Amino acid sequence: MDQSGLAVAAEHGVLMEVSPYGIEKKKLGMWVFIVSDACTFGAFLFAYGYMRVGAPVWGTPFGFSSILNGMVMTAVLLSSSLTMLAAVRAAQAGTKASTNKWLGITMLLGTIFAALHLREWFKLIGEGWRLFYNPTGGAAQFGATFFSVTGLHLTHVVSGVIALAFVARGFYQGRYDESHVETAGLYWHFVDLVWMFVFPLMYLMNAH
Amino acid sequence: MSSNRELAMSSYVGIGVGLMVIVGIEVVLTYQHLPTRTLLFSLLTLACLEGFVAVMYLMHVKYEKPILFWTIFPATLFVLVFLCYLWPDAFRMYNMRLLK
Repeated sequence: MDQSGLAVAAEHGVLMEVSPYGIEKKKLGMWVFIVSDACTFGAFLFAYGYMRVGAPVWGTPFGFSSILNGMVMTAVLLSSSLTMLAAVRAAQAGTKASTNKWLGITMLLGTIFAALHLREWFKLIGEGWRLFYNPTGGAAQFGATFFSVTGLHLTHVVSGVIALAFVARGFYQGRYDESHVETAGLYWHFVDLVWMFVFPLMYLMNAH
Repeated sequence: MSSNRELAMSSYVGIGVGLMVIVGIEVVLTYQHLPTRTLLFSLLTLACLEGFVAVMYLMHVKYEKPILFWTIFPATLFVLVFLCYLWPDAFRMYNMRLLK
């Protein structure tokens, strides 16, 4: 077989070695991203723990209303994971309308989560908390760690909502298939997974 | 692609409810006035349990080939465990305090 013949055969998968993981390359790529992102969040949370142990007085600004707000945010994000699963199922069944409906609900829940998150931020800012300022006179690092960790997570949620909008549009137009929806779903579940660590460590450990 | 052994949608709803119950337990524990270390250990244990369930069921790792799990999990755990090298320095600062 000449060089052009090899290229054509390779393009059609004849000479391609089967993936040992048995998953599509885009999904494997997403897993690699998730592993690296998990390490990033891990480093942020470890840095928070380090500063908290090292600081003489740590701020605990969260009253029960903030914890309740956090619980609602958790319920919203968990529900969005379930609607994402429904979207993947619908995409695998090939029903475009149903897929877009569930993706739409997932995006709506993601937006509600972001809104609740921002409400909590503005409440803290209203009380005088800043990135490098603690209005109660304790360690200033609380603001730095809280706003950076939750801000990083919020960025992931907003990015996820935008990505889902692109995937929904592409799937509806026939440019994307169910594997794109599945890969986007993997990212969305990861965002949910990170929150399961952020909520207890950033909110519950700082409740008064 | 995931295998066809996946759970029914109702089972996933059950898993979601179970995860929410664990979050409820975390909140209840927070208001039990436990010592900080006990509370931290309890919350982290419950969060790890939630995370494991989410990875295995919501992210479908349970239904993929085992090699995916054995590629991802030990490597991530290795990095996160090695971050614990930071703690002795944090506790050094803690032990240097006059008031604890």
